[in-house]
Amino acid sequence: MMLSFENVSKSYGQTRALDSLSFGVDRDEIVAVLGPNGAGKTTAIDIALGLRAADSGTVELFGESPSRVAARRRLGATPQESGFPDALRVEEIVAFTAAHFDRPSAVRAALDAFGIADLAKRRAGTLSGGQSRRLALALAFAGNPELAVLDEPTTGLDVESRRRLWDVVRGAAAGRSILFTTHYLEEAEALATRIVVIDRGRLLFDGDPRQLRDRFGARRLTYVGDPLETQALGFPASFARADGHTIVTTADTDAYVRALVRTGTAFSDLEIAPASLEDAFLSITGGSKT
Amino acid sequence: MTALALVRAHSRVALLDLFRSPSYVVPTVVFPAMFFALFDLQVARTQAAIADFATLAFMAWAVIGVALYQFGVGIAQERGRPWERYQRTLPASALIRFAARILSALVFGALAAACVALVARVFTPIDLTALQWLQVLAYSLAAGVPFVLFGITIGYWVSARAAVPIATAANLLLAYAGGLWMPPQYLPAVVQQISPFLPTRQFAELLWSVVDGRMPANAIAGLAAYTLLFGVLASRGYRRDERTRYA
Repeated sequence: MMLSFENVSKSYGQTRALDSLSFGVDRDEIVAVLGPNGAGKTTAIDIALGLRAADSGTVELFGESPSRVAARRRLGATPQESGFPDALRVEEIVAFTAAHFDRPSAVRAALDAFGIADLAKRRAGTLSGGQSRRLALALAFAGNPELAVLDEPTTGLDVESRRRLWDVVRGAAAGRSILFTTHYLEEAEALATRIVVIDRGRLLFDGDPRQLRDRFGARRLTYVGDPLETQALGFPASFARADGHTIVTTADTDAYVRALVRTGTAFSDLEIAPASLEDAFLSITGGSKT
Repeated sequence: MTALALVRAHSRVALLDLFRSPSYVVPTVVFPAMFFALFDLQVARTQAAIADFATLAFMAWAVIGVALYQFGVGIAQERGRPWERYQRTLPASALIRFAARILSALVFGALAAACVALVARVFTPIDLTALQWLQVLAYSLAAGVPFVLFGITIGYWVSARAAVPIATAANLLLAYAGGLWMPPQYLPAVVQQISPFLPTRQFAELLWSVVDGRMPANAIAGLAAYTLLFGVLASRGYRRDERTRYA
């Protein structure tokens, strides 16, 4: 295990940021921590990186406390936002990070891998948002770490830049584990071998992207009429009622419509729409939206 | 990586960053030598005794400025910033980062003081032996300690926005009232009463003892007291910051 959280709780005053959270990152895994803003993602990362201590529970980074320097020798991380010293050049910053590790990548190779070789002499203060994100990623991998932790690696970028960065991350992933946070479902699906969903500090889901897609790829079907019997359906669906409408959340709305027709159930005002990520969280937490 | 290599890497980026920031280099390195030239050169050019005292006073001011800006403003502005947070995820202890800060401050302090000494050597009849210069160096290192701690106190107790005006006000007021810009006997009577109790005056007294041979017992006691005071305040501020940001 590269990193493991066992029943980790953390509060800031009255606010509970993590509530008995357990998950882990194994060798060669790419794990996405997915959740809405304020879900506890940053707190979890802070604790994994040794920046903060858990109130209770056990956190192990390579079998040691993350606050120990020795554990962090095998770890790489991205800086948040674009918080580089403005006056330093890109190559100086990468060389600085590389100097902390026993077997770092060559600075040139690290710049090449993240597509910023032509920016080597540029001052960090003059980089664009996308260029800063690339430099941040280059730093996470510069020490050739066994585990790279990427905090919201593409937040604030447009869709196309985001996709290009995914390719770069995939290229850098060979032979190591990656843990990254995101609030883009698409990003988690594109990169991760395993997805961990947290909300309000609690673990809601831990599984592979296909399993997640079955739940998050769900669509919402609304109509006036009675809900179908769950046993008769033969596939999962969840139900809610609002304003005389039946609301069905399921992965296969087509099959549901066919079942409505087949069973001769009376229905009107039929509407189908993709379920939002929020709907998906609600269906997992067992809440219902009216 | 050996601790030495890490201290080197950290001081390298700190120095590069500072040397490329005119807003840091001008007040710390240029001002002491420039003010020395403007205020005192006229008189010091012809009189060796005045040259000695004035040069040493401005060298003290040079060291004080670096201590207050590099630690006070530096810490206040970096505290809690993403880059500081990032550095804490690297395999280097807090001690390494602190040692790098000390080292880069030594470089700037030496440079700022050397600029004053150079102006004095070129334009005044200042006449210190090699041994005396060594004494000046050793005393400056020792007397710089309470100012470094004063700087750290500012760094941890004052916001990033307020740190520059506060460090500047402390630097200028203490330099003036401590008699670093003009001989203390020319200060207004009230200021003369306070002056001996100020750490800037005590720093100057310590350096002046190199040329006048007097034992500055009061100055040494005063600097020791300030070291204790700011040592306590600095360590409390540091712990408070660690508790709130990284607990």
